[in-house]
Amino acid sequence: MINSVLRFCLIFVLLILLQVLLFNNIEFSGYVNPYVYVMFILLLPIEIPSWLLLLLSFGTGLIIDFFSGSPGMHTSATVLIGFVRPYVLRLVSPRDGYESGSDPSMLAYGFRWFATYTLLMVLIHHTALFYLEVFRFADFFRTLLRVILSTLFSTGFILLIEFYRKGK
Amino acid sequence: MRNLLNFLARYNNLIIFLILEGIAFYLLTTGNSYHNSRLLNGVRGITNGINAKIYNTRSYLSLHEINERLAGENVALKNKIAQMVREENSVFLPVNDSINKQQYLHTSAEVIENSINKQKNFFTINKGENQGIKVDMAVTTASGVAGVIVGCSRNYSVAMSVLNLDFKVSARIKSNGYFGSLSWDGRDYKYAILSEIPQHVLVNVGDTIETTGYSAIFPEGIIVGTVDNYEKYGGDFYKISVLLITDFKKLHFVDVIGNMKKKEQLNLEKLYK
Repeated sequence: MINSVLRFCLIFVLLILLQVLLFNNIEFSGYVNPYVYVMFILLLPIEIPSWLLLLLSFGTGLIIDFFSGSPGMHTSATVLIGFVRPYVLRLVSPRDGYESGSDPSMLAYGFRWFATYTLLMVLIHHTALFYLEVFRFADFFRTLLRVILSTLFSTGFILLIEFYRKGK
Repeated sequence: MRNLLNFLARYNNLIIFLILEGIAFYLLTTGNSYHNSRLLNGVRGITNGINAKIYNTRSYLSLHEINERLAGENVALKNKIAQMVREENSVFLPVNDSINKQQYLHTSAEVIENSINKQKNFFTINKGENQGIKVDMAVTTASGVAGVIVGCSRNYSVAMSVLNLDFKVSARIKSNGYFGSLSWDGRDYKYAILSEIPQHVLVNVGDTIETTGYSAIFPEGIIVGTVDNYEKYGGDFYKISVLLITDFKKLHFVDVIGNMKKKEQLNLEKLYK
């Protein structure tokens, strides 16, 4: 128990650092802004109580917000995916259901499952985030393009990190 | 009572979700005026410390380029001084009246945090209230316009970059003086849009665009960029794409410019508007 708490703390710190030091500085034509810190919410144990999940999402978003100087933006998007995560998990559940006590990882449920799960969650997060960022529906399709491109990149990076984690 | 408890137990997730989302939206809608939020200022102090460290390590990599630019600026300033000295030898001796003449105060600062990849970009500089920075001061680089201060803590200030959908500045075409409103459309960090220039005005690609000074924030004649291309927009106006002279990817040293007569101008304008 303590062990897994420590592990998640480590994952949390690493992902935040990765996001703040590396991914926040990526500038690729203004259309691609990968946000990989979402991965922390993705990796939390399946049976985590919902209130804890929501609070952790809130905290994660808040920290990212403080670092990127955008009060509330990441927080609201991250709380949203914290809220929908149980529904998404139910939607993509494997045929035999989830084993009790398992993590939603690539190691446990395979590449295809993890990729679908990640793509869905990241898409929801990025849609909320980018529309909150511009806070207007003018340029609707341009924002949509940003959402789609960034989602693809974020998902790609998260899958890469997960591959690395699986290999270890 | 039991019904109420049942209800709460059943929907507790939704309730927590709504509360947290409420807090987030509260931050989102009020937090953008940085100085209002003390909590934010406190935490920004910490993250600013970290950002300053990151910036420090990173700035070593571009020292050569910075030196080059500073040297260039020195040459320009020396030239200016040389011109002034010659003027002072003329028949009419100019009186250097510091009380009434000086309208703008310059302070230099370093950018410690900057972004260009969002729709609403801000950057942080390493000077704040203690160094005399105030909200609504103009921020420029040696070459051109950079942004406007929107919030100060004691030792840091946050400025709204030109690359922000909410940024607007009054700008004109230098060659003929027609002015319009300059803003960013969120697409490319190299270009901004100058609108409200009527179609009878002669516009050429390459024309210099500079600030007007009407807003009492920016001094007159600070270069914004050059006309990159233009097209007819709506019935009567041009939409001019301006190639920004400031490279926001390499924002390092900036000047903060305070207008000492701003209060006077605004008070007067308030009387008649």
